[in-house]
Parts: sequence; structure tokens; C-alpha cells
Amino acid sequence: MKRLLSSLIVLFLMVCFVFILLRISPGDPSLKFVSPELNPVLAQKVKDSFGLNRPIPEQFVQFISNIFSGNFGVSYDFRKPVTEVISNHLPFTIIFSLISFIIQLSVSYFLAIWSIKKMNGFVDRLLSKTSLVFYALPSFVIGVFLIFIFSEKLHLLPASGLSSYDVDSLSAGERYADYLLHMILPVITLSLGGIAVFYKYLRDNLDEIFNKMFILNLSAFGLSPKEITKKHVIPNAISPLISVAGVELGVLFSGALITEVIFGLPGMGRLTVNAILSRDYPLVVGCTFMSGLLIIICNLIADLLKAKIDKRLIRGMLN
Amino acid sequence: MNIRITNRWLLYSLLLLILIIRFGIVFNSFHLLFLFTKLIFSNYSVALGQIDFGLFDYFLSSVLIIILPAVILFKRKSFSFLDSSVSFASFSAMILFISFVFAPLITNTNPEFQKNISVTKLLPPLSSVNAVYSLKNLEKTASYFILKEKVVKNSYNDRLVFADSIKKDSVITYYQKGRPYLLSSSVPFNLEKDYVITKKFFLLGTDEFGRDIFARLVYGARISVSVGILSILLTFILGSLLGFFAGYSGGIIDSFLSHISEMFLSFPVIFLIILIIALFGNSIFSIIIVLGFSGWMSLFKIVRSEIIALKGKDYFLTAKLLGVTNFNLIFSEMLPVISASVIVNLIFQFGNVILAESALSYLGLGTGSIYPSWGSMIQSGQSYITTAWWMILFPGLALFFTLFMTNSLGNIVKVMFNPRLKK
Repeated sequence: MKRLLSSLIVLFLMVCFVFILLRISPGDPSLKFVSPELNPVLAQKVKDSFGLNRPIPEQFVQFISNIFSGNFGVSYDFRKPVTEVISNHLPFTIIFSLISFIIQLSVSYFLAIWSIKKMNGFVDRLLSKTSLVFYALPSFVIGVFLIFIFSEKLHLLPASGLSSYDVDSLSAGERYADYLLHMILPVITLSLGGIAVFYKYLRDNLDEIFNKMFILNLSAFGLSPKEITKKHVIPNAISPLISVAGVELGVLFSGALITEVIFGLPGMGRLTVNAILSRDYPLVVGCTFMSGLLIIICNLIADLLKAKIDKRLIRGMLN
Repeated sequence: MNIRITNRWLLYSLLLLILIIRFGIVFNSFHLLFLFTKLIFSNYSVALGQIDFGLFDYFLSSVLIIILPAVILFKRKSFSFLDSSVSFASFSAMILFISFVFAPLITNTNPEFQKNISVTKLLPPLSSVNAVYSLKNLEKTASYFILKEKVVKNSYNDRLVFADSIKKDSVITYYQKGRPYLLSSSVPFNLEKDYVITKKFFLLGTDEFGRDIFARLVYGARISVSVGILSILLTFILGSLLGFFAGYSGGIIDSFLSHISEMFLSFPVIFLIILIIALFGNSIFSIIIVLGFSGWMSLFKIVRSEIIALKGKDYFLTAKLLGVTNFNLIFSEMLPVISASVIVNLIFQFGNVILAESALSYLGLGTGSIYPSWGSMIQSGQSYITTAWWMILFPGLALFFTLFMTNSLGNIVKVMFNPRLKK
């Protein structure tokens, strides 16, 4: 509970920080909506409607009260409430990152188990080296290479977008197939780096636990290696992974920015960056709040999961 | 016989290779330095007006390429870390270092140089283009300026013309995209003396503006490395100072700083970086500052926990009770203990900064529009993905090798400081 409270305070501070940054920065977003030919009286009215020339403390109080009532204002660019704009972009991001997250976790889990079976064997060494390679490859390099190979050379998969231009004329089944086809490359791009990170983390953890004394003790008792791995090594190795995975999922939810830019996908990352670049203040604050909230929720879920695996942690949490 | 190739020999041979290939430039540059020194004594104001970064760059790298091997040779002891065997990481690190210091000598081309784009654009690797170099009216200028033009490569050159093919009879005709042009036929000129027909070789091809990709890669290494080093310097100062204060004083400062660092850790930093860069401009300094500030959290945590652990150690308490001054306490008792984990963290941070800088450039928010940067090269290459694969492949490889090198270097150093990890 204490953790939840402190993360809410952190979220609040974060949003305040963004607010302060936006207000002390040079430039006036209302200028974009005022053309020089406009009647000065009308122009002043437009400027007033943004509420940016009121004193900063008054703006701040207004801002805080709005946040507590869940009202983030109206996006300057979309001319729609911020909550509506975000709710248009959020479902895609959630689905996209969940798919990628599940792939990352499951693939790295199986690879780690595979390589731990024959420690320092051929598979283990190959996977370790490969994971180092993918760890060092930036996602935009992976993405561009994938586009080059699968879209330009082999003409197998589409290079960008969420759907084909004629998606509306397709039947429901074909439409899902079309979406699926468009998601393959982005999901691979987003997942490869994460797989490398999770794999390395899990493998090192497994390795460390295998060398612990209690494993030796258990095998001295005559437990089969399979049973030891399943019942004692994996649960011990997984619980530190969960907190890492929680952070990772939170970051994914706030938008896989680079991947979205490479493949032109309508996710939270691009929304945030576009809002920042066009100085859409309400939307920036809304996106910040949303991603902070998602990160906190993910961390919380990770904590609860950890507590479920390791009951000792519950007492520490309650204090 | 067992011959071990050490990093020392690798470095010597690489430097020697550059020296042999670019001997003319190094020689001319020394000559220019001599003339420049003469100019300082004879005409101070003119010499002062001549100082610019390009000139200084050529002087520095020419002097360093002589001095560096000598220093390493005579101070064998202090460079004993070079005596280990060559590994992939050390090889990449050396290439990066050499590109950083000797960029003008390696490429001998200005990364922004573009001329006759219709002829030179989007050339594949290993291609070469015919060029006419005019020496007309050159002898009228002072010898200093002739030499300067020979040494320092500018982003524009009036005397050079690229062409698809060049025909030389009584006049010089050159063809660009099938269209013939005459080279200043109106003024009588000496064909043999005034014009030199050469070839310009593009090792890794050219981009959409006819700029040499090899030169851009090498200068891009410069940008990456300097952004990386300056940022981690800032991270180091900020993270270790704050961590030190938090760990040493404890109490309310500690909990406040820890909460702040939690706050930054829980927010995806890339958005914060983009926010700040979008609001305050994307000059190279703002990028260095933002990237430096955004990495302090992990270092802060490490330093703080190390200091807290150190405070309770017996030897530290003893030193304190013996009346060792605070200054000595910090520099001779604390720093050596925490330096290992700090260095490891900074090496990984260096990789992170390079990755972040190239990602920003890829998004069009970095320094890419002003300086050649790997990220922006990949971004511009993406538009020509069907025709010019070399525009993406080489910067991608450079970025990959750099990040791979940093990771393995970090792991090597980690094991070096903490031999328990080695099994």
C-alpha cells in the first residue's frame, strides 16, 4: 500500500514536472492558430481561450484540479477531448505491446530452458552469442533491415501501416488476416531486443541458482535433475524476472516509439511525440499521465505476482 | 614459436597504415603549420582570421599521428593495458578511437562535400567518378593559401568538376547525364598545366546528395563518441555527486533524492528527452546536456548504496575517528572503493547514450541535420531502401559494432574488477 501511495506521488510529481517544463519553455502554441490577418480583437480572444496568459500559479491550480477530476482539456491539434484522443490510440498500443510482450517472455523462457539443459554446450554458446548480437542491434536498424529483406527483396510482407488501403472491401476473415500480415514485422522488430534481454537475464539467473548449495543438497537427496529444475530452479529464477518484466511492459504500453515510427503505426508513442512536437500541451500532459499510470499499474501487477510466488514478500509489502 | 598479436601492435600498424596512405597530407599539413607559424610572426591579424576548426583539426591529427606512437613507445608502462591480446571488442574500440581522433586524415574528404549531384548521387560502393581539377590562377595566390586549399577540405570546391566521362582534345569536354559541357573555352589556357583529370573514388558509395558515405561514417563516429563522452562526463558528475550527498548525509535529503530518482526511472526517459529537445531546440549541446542528465539515476543508485555500505565499514570509521580530513576521506578512502562499479556503469551508459543519440537522429530530433550522424544516415537511407542499400547497411553496421563493443568492453571491465564473476 505504501508503494502504491508513493508511486501515485511520483506520478503526480512527474505530471507537475511536465507542466512546469511546458510553461517555462519558449514559444506559444496559440500562435499557430492566429494568422497575422486576423482581427486583433479576435486574435486576443483566441489567445485568451487557451488560457496561457493568465498567471502561472492560477494556471497550475486549474491544472491540478482538472487532473483530479479526470479532465485533461481539449487537444489543440485533434480538436477533441484529450481522453477521447488517447482512447483512440490506446487499444492498438495495448494489443500490440501485449502480443510482443508475450512473445518476448515465452520465446526467451524456452530458449533459456533449452540452453540451460546443456550448460556451455553448443546451443548454449550459440544462443548466448546471438543474444549479445541482438542486444547490441538498435530496433530501428532491425526494423529497416527486416523491411529491406521481407518487403523489398522477397515481397512477402507489407512495409508499413496497420492495414491495406482496400481493407474495407474485404470480408471479416480476410481483414483479420490483413491486420495480422501487417503486424508481423513490427512485432518481430519490437520483440527481438526484448527477447535478447530477457534471455540473458533468465539464463544468468538459472546458471547462478544451479550453482547454489541447496541444489547440490537436493540432488544429494536423490531428486532427479528434471524435478530439481522444474520445482526448485525455475521458480527461484523467475521471481526477479517478474519485476524486470513489469517495468518492460509498462515502457511498452507507453509506446514503442521507434517501432511505431518505422512502420507508421498509430500508437501511443507516436501520439506523444507528435503532441510534443506540435506543442499540444493538454495532449502531452494527458499522454504523460497515461503512460505513468500504466507503468505504475504494471509494476503493481508485477509486485502482486511476485508476492503470489514468494509469500514472504507480502509481509514486507504491508509494512 | 608463439606469436601473440597484442593491441599495441595493432595500434601501431593501423597508425602506420594511415601514415603511409596519407603521407602527402601529413607532410603538407606540417608544411602548412610551418607557414602558419611564420604568418603569426609576420602578420598577426591575418593569421588570427585564418584559425578555424577545420585547419586546427588537420594540424592536430597530423601532429598526433607522429606523437601518439612515440608516447606509447616511450611510456610503455602507463600503456600496459595495450599489451593484452586483440579481441573483437578491443579492435572495434581502436577503430572507433582512431576514427575519432584522425577523422580528417582517414577520409581526406569533407563529409558535407557535394558537387554535381546529378553525377555523384546514389553511387554504389567501390565506384569512382571522373573529375577535372582546375589549377588555373592558383599560382597567383600566396603559397600559404595554395597549401591550405590542398590540405583542408571544404564542403565546397570551385575547382573540382565531377563528370560521367571526360574528353580531352584541344578543349576539355565533360559529360553529365549525356549532356556535353565545355570547360571555360573562352579564355586561352594551358591544357596540360591548368587542368588535372583524376578520378574520385567512393569506397562505400554516396548518398542522395552525392556525399561520400565513408567520410560521413567516420565523422559520424566523431559525433557519436563526443556526445557519448561529454554526456557520461555530465552523468558522472551529477550522479556521483548526488549519490554521494544522498548516501553520506542520509535523512531527508536521501529520501528526497531517492524519490526523485524513482520518479525519473518510472517514466520512459525517451519521452522526457524528446520533450526537452522539442521545447529547447536540438543543438548538439542541448542533446549532450539532456542525455547526460537523463542517465544519472542508475549511477546515483549505485553510488548511494556503495556509500551507505561504506559508511558502516570498520576501516572507514577508523579513518574518520583518526581525524582524516573530509577531503582525504573522500578521495583516498571512498573513491577507490566505488570507482569500479562507477566505471562499469559509465561504460554501459556510454553505449546507451550513443544508442539514444542515434535514435534521436533517426527520429529527426538529433544533430543529424547539422552534423553527419549514423541515425540520420539510416533515416535518410530508408527513403532509398529500394535502390540504395548501402545507405542503410554501413551506418547500421557501424552502430551495431559500436554498441557491441561497448557491451563487451563493459563485461570485460566488470570481470576485471570483480574476478568472482569469472568461472
